[in-house]
Amino acid sequence: MSSTDLERLMNKWLSAQEFYVVGKKVERADTIEKALGIARYMEDYYMRDMLVIKQVTSKYPHARILSIDDSQAKKVKGFLMNITAKNIPGENQVGYSIPDQPLLADKKVRYVGEPVSLVVASDFDSALEAAQLVKVNYDPLPYVLDPLEAMKRNDVLVHEETGSNIAFRTKVRKGDVEKGFSESHVVVENTYRTSHQDHIYLETEASIAIPNLEGKLTILSPSQYPHLTQKIVSRVLGLPASSIRVVVPYLGGGFGGKDDQGPLTSAKAALVAYLTKRPTFIEYSREESIAVHPKREATVIRYKSGADAEGKLKAIEVEIVHDTGAYANRGPFILWRATMHASGPYVVPNAKVDGYCIYTNKVYQGSFRGFGNPSVQFAAESQMDVLAEKLGIDPLEIRLKNILTPGATTITGQVLDSSVGVKEALEAAALKAGWKEKRKAYSSMEGRFRKGIGIGVAWHGISTSRGVPDWSAGTVKIELDGSVSVLVGIVEMGQGSPTSSHRQIVAEILGVPLDLVHVYFGTSDAPDTGATHASRGTGVGAIGVYVASIELRERLNSLAAKLLNTDPEDITIVDGVVRSKKDPSKSMPWKDLVKSAYSKGVSTTSSGYFFLPKGRFDDEMGQGFAYISYSYMVTITEVEVDTELGTVKVLKTYPAIAAGKIINPVQVEGQIEGAFVQGMGLALTEEFKFSEKGEIINKDLTDYVIPTSMDAPEIAEPIFIEDRFKYGPFGAKGVGEMALIPAPSSIANAVSHAIGKRVTHLPITPERVLKLLEGR
Amino acid sequence: MKVSFKLNGSPVELDVPPNEILLDTLRFRLGVRGPKRGCERAECGTCTVLLDGKPVYSCNIFTVQVDGSEVNTIEGIAQKELGKELAESFSREGAVQCGFCTPGFITTSYALVKENPNASELEIKKYLEGNLCRCTGYKKIVEAVKKVISAYRK
Amino acid sequence: MYYKLPEFEYKRAENLHQALDVLKEGDWKILAGGTDLILDMKIGRQSPKKILDITRLGELRYVRAYNGKMFIGGGSRLQELLENALVKEKLPLLSSAIYEMASWQIRNVATIAGNICNASPAADSAPPLLIYDAKVKLSSSSGSRTLPISEFFLGPRKTAISSYELLEEIEVPTLDGYFQWYYKLGRRHAFTLSVVSAAVALKIENGIFSDVRIALGSVAPKPVRAYTVENELKGKEANVSEIERAVEKVAEDISPISDVRASAEYRFKATKALLKEALFKGMKYFGGGSG
Repeated sequence: MSSTDLERLMNKWLSAQEFYVVGKKVERADTIEKALGIARYMEDYYMRDMLVIKQVTSKYPHARILSIDDSQAKKVKGFLMNITAKNIPGENQVGYSIPDQPLLADKKVRYVGEPVSLVVASDFDSALEAAQLVKVNYDPLPYVLDPLEAMKRNDVLVHEETGSNIAFRTKVRKGDVEKGFSESHVVVENTYRTSHQDHIYLETEASIAIPNLEGKLTILSPSQYPHLTQKIVSRVLGLPASSIRVVVPYLGGGFGGKDDQGPLTSAKAALVAYLTKRPTFIEYSREESIAVHPKREATVIRYKSGADAEGKLKAIEVEIVHDTGAYANRGPFILWRATMHASGPYVVPNAKVDGYCIYTNKVYQGSFRGFGNPSVQFAAESQMDVLAEKLGIDPLEIRLKNILTPGATTITGQVLDSSVGVKEALEAAALKAGWKEKRKAYSSMEGRFRKGIGIGVAWHGISTSRGVPDWSAGTVKIELDGSVSVLVGIVEMGQGSPTSSHRQIVAEILGVPLDLVHVYFGTSDAPDTGATHASRGTGVGAIGVYVASIELRERLNSLAAKLLNTDPEDITIVDGVVRSKKDPSKSMPWKDLVKSAYSKGVSTTSSGYFFLPKGRFDDEMGQGFAYISYSYMVTITEVEVDTELGTVKVLKTYPAIAAGKIINPVQVEGQIEGAFVQGMGLALTEEFKFSEKGEIINKDLTDYVIPTSMDAPEIAEPIFIEDRFKYGPFGAKGVGEMALIPAPSSIANAVSHAIGKRVTHLPITPERVLKLLEGR
Repeated sequence: MKVSFKLNGSPVELDVPPNEILLDTLRFRLGVRGPKRGCERAECGTCTVLLDGKPVYSCNIFTVQVDGSEVNTIEGIAQKELGKELAESFSREGAVQCGFCTPGFITTSYALVKENPNASELEIKKYLEGNLCRCTGYKKIVEAVKKVISAYRK
Repeated sequence: MYYKLPEFEYKRAENLHQALDVLKEGDWKILAGGTDLILDMKIGRQSPKKILDITRLGELRYVRAYNGKMFIGGGSRLQELLENALVKEKLPLLSSAIYEMASWQIRNVATIAGNICNASPAADSAPPLLIYDAKVKLSSSSGSRTLPISEFFLGPRKTAISSYELLEEIEVPTLDGYFQWYYKLGRRHAFTLSVVSAAVALKIENGIFSDVRIALGSVAPKPVRAYTVENELKGKEANVSEIERAVEKVAEDISPISDVRASAEYRFKATKALLKEALFKGMKYFGGGSG
């Protein structure tokens, strides 16, 4: 099919108005077996003949490795070997964006918890015991923990070869900020801080590697991108990618964390399997998971904004510092995203944004739902409230005055031609929340318990950024019995895109009953569909199967037209019935149509592929095409603050989302509810405490505090603004990350409203609330 | 040590070391994989099983402690009418995302419906306090239990 | 599997007599429910060589009311106590404290004696028992002794029990005509360790504090009574200024530390806020002040 044909057909489906499964509250394919306890996760595949791996991790934040002595470990019955960097046959290099990170520490360690060696044993207890007995001799080095200090120091370098602790810089230069500030009626400046956050997926990282006779490996991997795992494992082992087969079973949560740590977990299992020629199993304990795997970045954001007397934004000047920890990992991409979204979803004529990704000797940062955006939106949205207050304007009004609308230009100079539903979303949420009345009522509250209401608005570019190649692919095969097999690389980690939206999209286009569609997902056997991250699982991840289904439908329409003696345009196929629109008496069952296709030489398999058209980006000025499309999210949140104890209770939130066509409303609600509560954790309780050595102290679920059922607030039914995205399946954009992004800002703005003091530091612990109330 | 107990209605006899925890006995010795390992520190609830009808963390109890008792896991609960109704309700209401916490939630919910078929929404949340979920934000889980409980009352 | 549990010799007692007989040997660690012990063994805080399982001692699971006192068997599960109507009616502070303790799964296994004997500074059952001036009955094969709960706690994870003794029963006098108030301040609304916990009971007669009892958790090496504040108030007129003045003296009763859960400074502030709230509410309860 030519690209113009494809575009024409995609446009046809994009403008569809009637649906029989899309947009419906359809039950997912995977949830009943999960609920019955039948679904299998990684550890459920463990078998007793597998070798068990235990990591030996660094006790120092920064030290040279002098030697690794396993003589005591050898005395443990069941101990097999201790594998170090020296045993790696390929490249000991797993840095994601910069080649700065070994799989196993070589020569030096850079954070407490960094993997140094892998103890291999026949059973768990032997592995645990032997790992305790491996003695690593270190020569401790001076270390640096504070990113602001690390930025300035060149005497202590986390990576000597770089000559600086600044791993990466980003910028945006638009207009003339000095002029903008001089034209402003008010200029406000604040420094905002946010803390590390752990994903706390309830299933920790685990992987199985099974070698075969030819030295090829099958890997069960806890990753969000099977083809990335394939690439990393093949690099570490020095094997061709085709020797590595990756299967991702159901994941007990990902949230971005397994995008980073999944491939590394599997590389460890694969390394041992390759060296021993035996099946291997590795699983991180909860404490190990927290110590080892990357976190959401901690940030310091200095934000200056100016607006005219009417509240129109004139200029922003922002400095974003990300504590990237020991390794850059995805830090440069995370920082890049934060930088490009620094304005919030507003029109800002003059912008100067500088981002710094800073190495420190702490656990490193990585992907986490929101990817650099929750912290910068917190800063941007706080600034909007501060400006509104200074100008005596309602926080809702100032936002509506500046909000992005179709045709608006972003701070990177990208023109948003369509699919910009944020204004409608904000207006609808404010109406539903009773914003005006509550804002007024709560403003006059006195006494110990005070309520507040706050707005958080966010925008979020979907999928990968700039000119980074981005595509979707998937295979759809109609079986002889009429059932449909779909093969995609998107994984199932809770978000449910392959088990809900992909099925619905394929069923809708082919017209086949939903229960005949089976999606096989998460393997490197599938076409490379890209990662399940950046809210792309449906909006981008399903374009491949969407396109494949469209192509198949064209073939089936032609065949059906012949069989029913009419034109292809006259054919409808809905829920397994093929019919002529003009003459509904002409019809046939879906299964018969499929049988005819097999007997009459019509191919029933199609491989769909779509390469997203992108624009140019000038890194020098930070100007140009940033993202293919943006989703928008509003949360308006009510809180109650106990001004004596400083505690905050989130009472209710009103969400609205502009994410294009909603394929499955129940699943979208689930994403919004879950993301909001995870964002509430970031806003109120989740924080790591570090020792003087930079070691995380609270490596358990007692002292790393995530919300329970008793903490969950009321969440109103979300408002959907279906601002369709021209390349998304039926116009779908992304949802997964969205509610987490404005959640902290809406909570912080509500708390600020309640106590009459500006929150600038997340999480908003009782101690911080009391300090604010005391004016410190 | 010799231990015998009833597992999902069937008698089990084992010889286990005293320091073996129930979760490992279930998963590794008996191949019962429904209860999950999320923390092994009695902090998350994924390993919840019923011990003589009461929910307990199987990661935090020695197998020898259950000698002579009745243990029910999601595998057994799923065979019962109420267990099936809960599973179906969870699935239908969107209360399952990654699903790793789900067996624990259904196990606890099963006990709570039996224990208190008049439980209010707040009481449901309170009974479920020891089961963490990181995906759903709990709303749909509570709704799924509410639907079953109101049907069960009738 | 995440942890290697130490090996140990295991014995299960079928009755109290048998248990005490085994304990005579002196080096047995008691497993009452095991919820604290097993985690301690996993993380290496405890590694007993011998464990005596007393979970089967049904004779230690009871609640009885007699002569203005409640008698609680040490082996009573926390959840049993939470569901016990007598406890709820006669010992509301204890009932409220247990409601906030751990989770349903843990309360189904953990025992009241276990919570006391573990002697965490954050032990949630302790402040109510301190308020009620409870006594613990410590039994051994050679007999029993009774100790006020305030003398039982010696420090963090240190108690007055000896290795051949077992905490058989808790004797709890009930309080009639008292205002009773309990609050657990944690970092979330359930299943969490306390940052500060406070139990208060008081009586006001003719506008005068005739009795004031205050107990606090997580603000000292062990759960404590705030005797200084109590004495500052007893016999004084129940009014806002007396309360505010007295509460400031709590610094003499507690010695909070800064840890991963909160700073010492915050614990001081929160303690004072909680005490004021309790005392003001008490005053209101007895029809005084406008607090």
